[in-house]
Amino acid sequence: MKWGKYTPYLLLIPTFLIIILFIYWPAINSFLLSFYKTSLFGQKKIFVGLQNYLNLFHSESFLEAFKVTLIYICATVVSVIFLGYLVAVLLDNKVVGVKIYRTLIFVPYAISFTIGGALWLFMLNPVAGHVNYFLSRIIGKNINWVIEIPYALISVIIAGIWKMLPYSIIFYLAGLQSISEEVIESAIIDGSNAWQRIWKIKFPMLSPITFYLVIMNIIDAMFESFGIIDIMTRGGPFGSTTTLTYKLYQDAFFFYKTNLAAAESVILFLIMSLITFLYFKFGEKTVSYQ
Amino acid sequence: MKRFVLLFLSVLLLAGFTFSVTTIEFWHAMESDKVPLIQNMIQDFEALNPDIKVKLQYTGSYPETLNKLVAAVQTGNAPHIVQIYEIGTRLMIDSGVIVPVQDLLDQDKSYDVAVLLEPILNYYTVEGKLYSMPFNSSTCLLYYNKTLFEQAGLDPNRPPQTYEEVIEYCRILTKKDAKGQTLQYGLTWPTHSWVIEQLMAAADAPFVNNNNGRTGRATEAVFNNEAGLKIFELFDQLNKEGLILNTAREDWSASDENFISGKAAMLFTSTSDVRIFEEALTKNGYTLGTAFLPVPDASVSGGPVIGGASLWLIAGHPDSETKAAWEFMKFVTQEEQQILWHKGTGYFPTRKDAVKRLHYERFYAENPNYFTSLLQLLLAKKDYNTAGAIMGVFQQARDTIETAYERMAAGKMTPAEALAWAEKEVTKLIKEYNSIYQH
Repeated sequence: MKWGKYTPYLLLIPTFLIIILFIYWPAINSFLLSFYKTSLFGQKKIFVGLQNYLNLFHSESFLEAFKVTLIYICATVVSVIFLGYLVAVLLDNKVVGVKIYRTLIFVPYAISFTIGGALWLFMLNPVAGHVNYFLSRIIGKNINWVIEIPYALISVIIAGIWKMLPYSIIFYLAGLQSISEEVIESAIIDGSNAWQRIWKIKFPMLSPITFYLVIMNIIDAMFESFGIIDIMTRGGPFGSTTTLTYKLYQDAFFFYKTNLAAAESVILFLIMSLITFLYFKFGEKTVSYQ
Repeated sequence: MKRFVLLFLSVLLLAGFTFSVTTIEFWHAMESDKVPLIQNMIQDFEALNPDIKVKLQYTGSYPETLNKLVAAVQTGNAPHIVQIYEIGTRLMIDSGVIVPVQDLLDQDKSYDVAVLLEPILNYYTVEGKLYSMPFNSSTCLLYYNKTLFEQAGLDPNRPPQTYEEVIEYCRILTKKDAKGQTLQYGLTWPTHSWVIEQLMAAADAPFVNNNNGRTGRATEAVFNNEAGLKIFELFDQLNKEGLILNTAREDWSASDENFISGKAAMLFTSTSDVRIFEEALTKNGYTLGTAFLPVPDASVSGGPVIGGASLWLIAGHPDSETKAAWEFMKFVTQEEQQILWHKGTGYFPTRKDAVKRLHYERFYAENPNYFTSLLQLLLAKKDYNTAGAIMGVFQQARDTIETAYERMAAGKMTPAEALAWAEKEVTKLIKEYNSIYQH
């Protein structure tokens, strides 16, 4: 059969067509766009080389967005990993109704970022929100959550954590349940306490999961945070919640600066590539696969 | 046999009829209860013009509609008529993909554009040419809660007229509890640069150079002037004394909510919300009052600027279709349609005869708040300052001004610093935008 040799390629054609059309072609296009300056409707096109990139690195708002993104990612990813693990440990216990708790805790994952943002906005409303109601009861103070620095950033970080947490919990829970009883038993016999078992034995055993989750959560925090920010703060007050992704959206679709936005997307692409590369290079060494 | 011939003829006629139907596409950005109003307009139009079919398409918010238009033009699927927000005017003029309404007006002697209200025409006329057909027009208005005025011992029929009075009234209207928590604010607003632009025009001051970009392309922002400073100082004072309730940036519904719930006694927002506020305040046991925009002092008198959106004709369609689209545009601005539109939404009736008829029907006598918004527009001084600024980077200019405002409100900048910074940044944006069109 002569066919045999080519069959795999033939079968790959549909996939490649779609990938090329919807991923590579737009990616190459935005890469090219970033070297031009074009009018809104595209009739005028001037080659400007790296000018768009230079403008970005001289722009106060871009550097600010860089900083905000960094804070947002660090805060959410670190909290999601540790909180996710701790909640998973709690849910791993055999208590009455644990299945119900698990289901309830997983709910935020099923809700879209946008709706999550709307819910938080409602709860953080300075006048009618639940959070301020309790705050004013306890400490007698109202906070203008989404419109004041630094509370706006804190608000979107909390909402982001709330949204991303279930994903980590599910993975850790699955991991915890796959750890064999014998390991734990021998640890108990060796005289370890619960805290030691959690951090010194279980957590290192789940390092492949942690490894996976860190990468996934960074990607999530970088790109999916858009919905929450758009609904809750629209990047304000004065850019204190404008992440790179949100700035990209604003520049492209509100300020009609397609070329600048293209340059931003290329930079985002490079950052993501770098993170993934570094992580696989240095991160993998510390991971123990069983 | 005769019957057959007749049948044959009528089939032929029907066929010819259906074949000659011209379909035009109309993209709009209106939401909720405004959609059925537009659908009714189209029904009426199609009944009068059986040979034209209008395909209505909702294309999302104003910026989304513009983005979709860009994509559609590039792929050759552009609609015939598209509703573009007022600040997109310069972008559309520069786009090279439109047919200026003036071109069709010049050919069509049956339509004298002077039937439309002058202040509205002034906004969409650039360098002497009417570019688009006014559709939904509104301005900024000062809304106030008469009931709360009375409770505070203020005359409910004497709203504040100058900045000084605004501050004075806000001091009286702001209420705090024993712990220092504010129960009621004097003023709220959507924290939107649009309000600042409106106050600038009301103070009869320009926003950008070259007569607000109307006698030539604007090259610089000029709002760092005396009027601009006074506006920023007003807001600074209100913030420092805790008299104003700011919202998240450009959050119209939050400021509406603050006002409706009585959390704030006054509100700057669009005239197109008159109907909503009348209903909502009545429900809460309040009485609505409306007032002209305040001015720095009584000797100054400009007027509000038209906001909203207009209808643009997109080029590249067969002449017959463009003609049909033009017929539709003329129809939309007819008396009957404008009266329904005005009553249904609060947007201005764009025609003089519509205003006259509403008056004869005692509509304004019975709806004094509608009258305030119209009177403010009609009494406005007619110059380039009140015609409003035109520039290609309006969206980002607004963002910049809001940033300046927020920095000032947070106490990081003085009013003078904030204004100077914003002006410098906006000038940079304008120059950057212009560079491609002057290449």
